[in-house]
Amino acid sequence: MASIARSSLLRQVAAARPASSPSLIANAARAAAFHTTAKRSLLPPLPQKIEGTVNDAARVPPPSPSHGSYHWTFDRLVAASLVPLTVAPFAAGSLNPTLDALLCATILIHSHTGFQNIIVDYVPQYRTPRARKALIWGLNAATAIVGLALYEFETNDVGVTEAIKRVWKA
Amino acid sequence: MAALRSSASRLVVGAASRPTLRPVAAAAARGMATVSDDKPRLKTFQIYRWNPETPTEKPRMQSYTLDLNKTGPMVLDALIRIKNEQDPTLTFRRSCREGICGSCAMNINGTNTLACLCRIPKDDGADMKIYPLPHTYVVKDLVPDLTHFYKQYKSIKPYLQRDTPAPDGKEYRQTREDRKKLDGLYECILCACCSTSCPSYWWNSEEYLGPAILLQSYRWLVDSRDEKTAERKDALNNSMSLYRCHTILNCTRTCPKGLNPGKAISEIKKSMAF
Repeated sequence: MASIARSSLLRQVAAARPASSPSLIANAARAAAFHTTAKRSLLPPLPQKIEGTVNDAARVPPPSPSHGSYHWTFDRLVAASLVPLTVAPFAAGSLNPTLDALLCATILIHSHTGFQNIIVDYVPQYRTPRARKALIWGLNAATAIVGLALYEFETNDVGVTEAIKRVWKA
Repeated sequence: MAALRSSASRLVVGAASRPTLRPVAAAAARGMATVSDDKPRLKTFQIYRWNPETPTEKPRMQSYTLDLNKTGPMVLDALIRIKNEQDPTLTFRRSCREGICGSCAMNINGTNTLACLCRIPKDDGADMKIYPLPHTYVVKDLVPDLTHFYKQYKSIKPYLQRDTPAPDGKEYRQTREDRKKLDGLYECILCACCSTSCPSYWWNSEEYLGPAILLQSYRWLVDSRDEKTAERKDALNNSMSLYRCHTILNCTRTCPKGLNPGKAISEIKKSMAF
């Protein structure tokens, strides 16, 4: 499987790559004899594993609304609230520090959950649990740092909306 | 099929020598306007081949050329003709040849569809490329392994669940409006075209249920006779089963039955939101 997902060009490149030592060549030849596709992908397809018999139902995970429906609803509310928050300073024509801080916080949460979704999609828990944990905590740290930086910027400097206004020379 | 396979000249000879065959030949000549002594219209089919008995051999594309004048209109007709006349080792699933069993789901010219519902384009000179359903474990040639797909289907308990008996002790009645909610859901034949066209399902098929199974899930969620709606929703309420859907809508675009799994999934999300 997955050989169809990879272009034949990539496979040719992989096959044509020179090996550095005779033992490596022998190993590669043995691997090539066994595998029908080149070992080039980041996460090659796992051998198919079937839990239980073919007649058993797939496992149903325990319900956890904080990762499910609450998370999704919160995501949508944050995304929807960004629209009026972005328009408000222009509509009002004046800058309100509270509104500015609220906009910053919402953008921060929005990007946090967005990146979280990317990690959940592409770094599966069952397959790469340690990379998943590292990335999630890395994201948490990044969000905390950006949050701190935005707090500093809002309290000790001009604030996001004013900064964009000054940079924007359209 | 016999009439399709024999050439026009043989049809004429057969009709002349055996009078009993005349109505058949006449019908064929009338119905199959394409069966004539025109010049052959050749079409090449490139088909994915992989044999589990020689697992060290890489999968390859094999070309077969057919005369469309002697072939039925659908891709499945061409496949059956190739298997009958050119290469009996070509392997694919087929059963009903009319789009109701879902066996012949495959990737034809880059789109997941049923071979029996997909016409062979006549005007273009391009080759047709036929692959098994993408991102599936291949059993042989065009046959994908759908074991996990069926296990996932079983996990959503696709049957009526209720504790209270019917008031009249006979059958569970439904209003016309409630019955109408099931239209567009019950027609799904579980061919797996939509699930295997979904990028989210490609990356997370072990945990994400995929559009076909979620459409079926919704079919039981909206059924007014079912009494386990809360339990069904609980089973979906985690990060993987339902919420890996990012509304890409490949499912709706590819469905050979014209259903809308994307809408069903968003209805589930909406009903679980507040």
